[in-house]
Amino acid sequence: MNASAAAIQQEEDRSISQDISTLTVVANGEIFGLPIQSVQTIFRITSLAPVPMGPPDVAGLVNLRGKIVTAISLRRRLKMDNDVVEKNSLAIGIEHKGEFFCIVVDEVGEVLALDESKRIPIPPHFDPERLRLTNEFYRNGKTLVPVLDVNALVDFAK
Amino acid sequence: MDELLRDFIVETNQHLEEAATQLVLFERDPTDSSLIAKIFRLVHTIKGTCSFLGLNRLQHITHAAETMIGELRNGAPPTESSVTVVLAAIDRIKHIVEEVEQTGVEPEGSDDDMIKELDVQAKSLAAVLAGEAPPAEEAASAEPVASDASAEATENAAAKPAEASAEAPQAEAAPPAEAKAEAPPPATPPAKAPPKGGKPPAKGAGAGAARGSETIRVAVDAIERMMQLVSELVLTRNQLLELTRHRQDDTVKTPLQRLSSLTTDLQDAVMRARMQPVERLYASLPRLIRELATECHKKIDLVTEGADTELDRQLIEILRDPLTHMIRNSADHGLETPAERVAAGKREAGEIRVAASHEAGQITITIADDGRGLDVEKIKAKLIKNGVVAEADLAKMSNDEIFKYIFAPGFSTAQAVTNVSGRGVGMDVVRSNIESIGGSISLKSELGKGTQFSMRIPLTLAIAPALIVEASGQRFALPQHAVVEAVGVGEGSGHSIDKVQNALVLRLREEVVPVIDMCQVLGLDRAASQGNEQLVVIMRVGGESFGVIVDKVADVQEVVVKPLSASLAHLKVFTGHTILGDGSVVLILDPGGLAMSIGIEKNGEKQRDKKDVAAASKTRIVMFRAGEGVVKVLPVSLIARIEMVDSGKIEQADGRLTMIQQDRLMPLVPVGSTMFDPSRSYPVLVVTDGDLTVGLLVDEIVDIIEETLDVQMSNGGYDTIGAAVVRGHAVEFIDVQSYLQSVSGSIKAQSSKMSSRSQVLVVHDDAFARGFLAPVLAAAGYRVASVASSQEALKIVEEGIVVDAVVSSTELLEQGELTAAIRRTQPSREIPVIGVSSEDDLEDEVEVDGLTMRVTAGDRQSLLSGLSAALKAMKRAEKRVAKSNDGVAA
Repeated sequence: MNASAAAIQQEEDRSISQDISTLTVVANGEIFGLPIQSVQTIFRITSLAPVPMGPPDVAGLVNLRGKIVTAISLRRRLKMDNDVVEKNSLAIGIEHKGEFFCIVVDEVGEVLALDESKRIPIPPHFDPERLRLTNEFYRNGKTLVPVLDVNALVDFAK
Repeated sequence: MDELLRDFIVETNQHLEEAATQLVLFERDPTDSSLIAKIFRLVHTIKGTCSFLGLNRLQHITHAAETMIGELRNGAPPTESSVTVVLAAIDRIKHIVEEVEQTGVEPEGSDDDMIKELDVQAKSLAAVLAGEAPPAEEAASAEPVASDASAEATENAAAKPAEASAEAPQAEAAPPAEAKAEAPPPATPPAKAPPKGGKPPAKGAGAGAARGSETIRVAVDAIERMMQLVSELVLTRNQLLELTRHRQDDTVKTPLQRLSSLTTDLQDAVMRARMQPVERLYASLPRLIRELATECHKKIDLVTEGADTELDRQLIEILRDPLTHMIRNSADHGLETPAERVAAGKREAGEIRVAASHEAGQITITIADDGRGLDVEKIKAKLIKNGVVAEADLAKMSNDEIFKYIFAPGFSTAQAVTNVSGRGVGMDVVRSNIESIGGSISLKSELGKGTQFSMRIPLTLAIAPALIVEASGQRFALPQHAVVEAVGVGEGSGHSIDKVQNALVLRLREEVVPVIDMCQVLGLDRAASQGNEQLVVIMRVGGESFGVIVDKVADVQEVVVKPLSASLAHLKVFTGHTILGDGSVVLILDPGGLAMSIGIEKNGEKQRDKKDVAAASKTRIVMFRAGEGVVKVLPVSLIARIEMVDSGKIEQADGRLTMIQQDRLMPLVPVGSTMFDPSRSYPVLVVTDGDLTVGLLVDEIVDIIEETLDVQMSNGGYDTIGAAVVRGHAVEFIDVQSYLQSVSGSIKAQSSKMSSRSQVLVVHDDAFARGFLAPVLAAAGYRVASVASSQEALKIVEEGIVVDAVVSSTELLEQGELTAAIRRTQPSREIPVIGVSSEDDLEDEVEVDGLTMRVTAGDRQSLLSGLSAALKAMKRAEKRVAKSNDGVAA
């Protein structure tokens, strides 16, 4: 049983390395991709407790079915504007190293299957600050989808 | 690790703890033979399992211990040395078990020494037994046979693993019975041994089975998980109650009521599962008392009460250290020596009473001794001497208020620092430990009658009552254990907040309490708080009171404290967050963090967890004024004593100021530009270095404080080491050495008596320590080079500079590389390496390889005497080598 589970796991790993499925989200009119395997749930924020003196990108704390989740505003995180997260905002719940976060976005789009062949090298003139959060770019039809790095998104060490 | 092995370790640890306790009890009351029978059984059980699991070291040592205990069981009177040996053996077994626990295998090594000692003891006990009761000779010879036989039986059982588990309990129970049956009557039959040899095993097995059905071993994790789930359940229940509070729908209300009470019961039951009797805390006490009694040469009776009082297991672990510390204090300082006690008309043996009781949702643990009690006058004198409290203020204080100072950091009235206690670190740590779990500590004392400490501790840490307060429209939780009261301020309330020097204070019943505005601390918008009415929540942290301005107190709720996520953990004003009954998330404020935000430092060791403590270690310093310029400082460690000297006693002789001190002339040197005015008296800081004693004449002592002294080296005046910042003010750190030298220049100090001046290398990463060590060594006549890191030190020795000795911080030596590298450069000499550790480290007793000796940072005398002895030893050795070489050459 364990062996077969491991096999399935391997199978999954392989499919991920070939196809990168991402959920597209919209922040301030721009489209971004979030790796689908890190997405746990999508929900609307009903109430939010701000964290005084916390990092500016942290919109507050949210009660998600009995779990306390740190809400991060994608707009603020990407230094787009001083977004004020209000009730009913859309949020995507993710788990990272045993802690729970949610990324507050404007809209949630569709799931895109991206693969290695669509990946493009990072254009040299992109803002390095942004590149810390979005480190991969894929062509999708006519548009370019930057994929967000979840680890960097929730890491406030820097 | 093997499941079986894990079980063995858990079980063995329990057995060992029990055996050690029983043994101490047995030593006190050798007539109670049931105790020794119990110990024998415990050790035997361990032995049996060891052989079963192939743990050879353990098997051999337990076998030897068992043989010896067997003699005791046969009626040999226990001697102190025999009990000590068994305790040592138990320690060894414990140590091996710990290793097994970590690595899964027995550590390398031999226990022959221990086994030999046990054998010697066993033989001498057997001899005593034989001499005492001649007919028992047979018994003595019969006994080993019996125990061998039982050992064989166990091994046989072990050889059949399939049956082993079923047979083991029987095999365990068998030997005592066999032994009892075979042992002839003169050998004092152990208590209540049933006459028939056949019965006990069955009984033993039966008892074992019965116990098996009553208790099961559950992993702590499982309980923790249950606790977590129950906490969530409680929160959800609260949410539901909140939702239905305003509805008149009975169809929902009745089942909800039922759910509610069930949840409460469940919470209670799970909490209870986490509870453990205080007995666990008591288990190690008899042995501790025994050791203390030997160490302090006192007779101590231990009385424990309320062993069945239950406490959260997490708390039991937290309480262990403070309790041990307080008992050490009581034994060392509290109780008098037997002679003193008799002289005072008391019983020769002192009593330490530890009692636990459960009252009003809290546990009270008291530690009382019937010793000499606290001496108020001594404490007063100490407080004045240390400049903690002014004499005038002390006069106004009650005894109880004065006693409270023993919880202040760095306080000890002990005349001498003993091995056991008296270093002045301790009671403050005890207090901060207790307060960190929301408890409190108080004491009562009567001179000549004794001292009693009481700790009040919450039952559990998982759920804590909290005040829900509002500021700027946002809610926060304040842990109730730190809250004293809430005071309304504003018009008509009788209390008002004043602004003094840009800071807020509240006048509250004769007291002036510093106040902070929650909105300000948290950077919230004041404007969002409406109305004039405000509340000040008075909190108490580490003995200091302060107030927090909030808009209102919304509620009091039981909250489940959840830690903050890593991205928010740096916010010191919050300890965690929680979900309230209405489902909203609130942050829990940290009273200690709030206190710190207005400069009230939480005493104790909050900062300990930071790695860079070495750089921020606090030093006790004297601040004084001397002549013009800023306040000057000197570490207390450099000062032998401070005296007020009447100018009449100061004489000018030979063009310099001197005073007579114990029939010797002590030169006095005015510090800085202090002008000597014969019409007043002066404080004199007496500094000594070897035989040289110099008094530093200063204008005025400003304060003695404990502070981080970050000396920024300067090339300024010849008589200062540098400038530092203390409490926001620039101060000058004066160079004692230059003053000593200005005197020794003419006296020609004895310090250069080391004819061939030895070269000492000082390696220390702390600039302050270097600034202190180098001058001390230089003054003692050594040539000193000082560097900040091992790398620099290695560079020096690699450049071929001959180093005769190394003085370094123990931390840098811990790896042993530095020591080895330096010794490698001069393989023919055994270069002394002296480790300097901060006092705290010395207590931790980290083993450092290759050290010649270690001293505490402030202990100059030991450093100098040790260094000179080590150098002499090295030179003698060199001479011997040289001589023998000559001999060979000849």
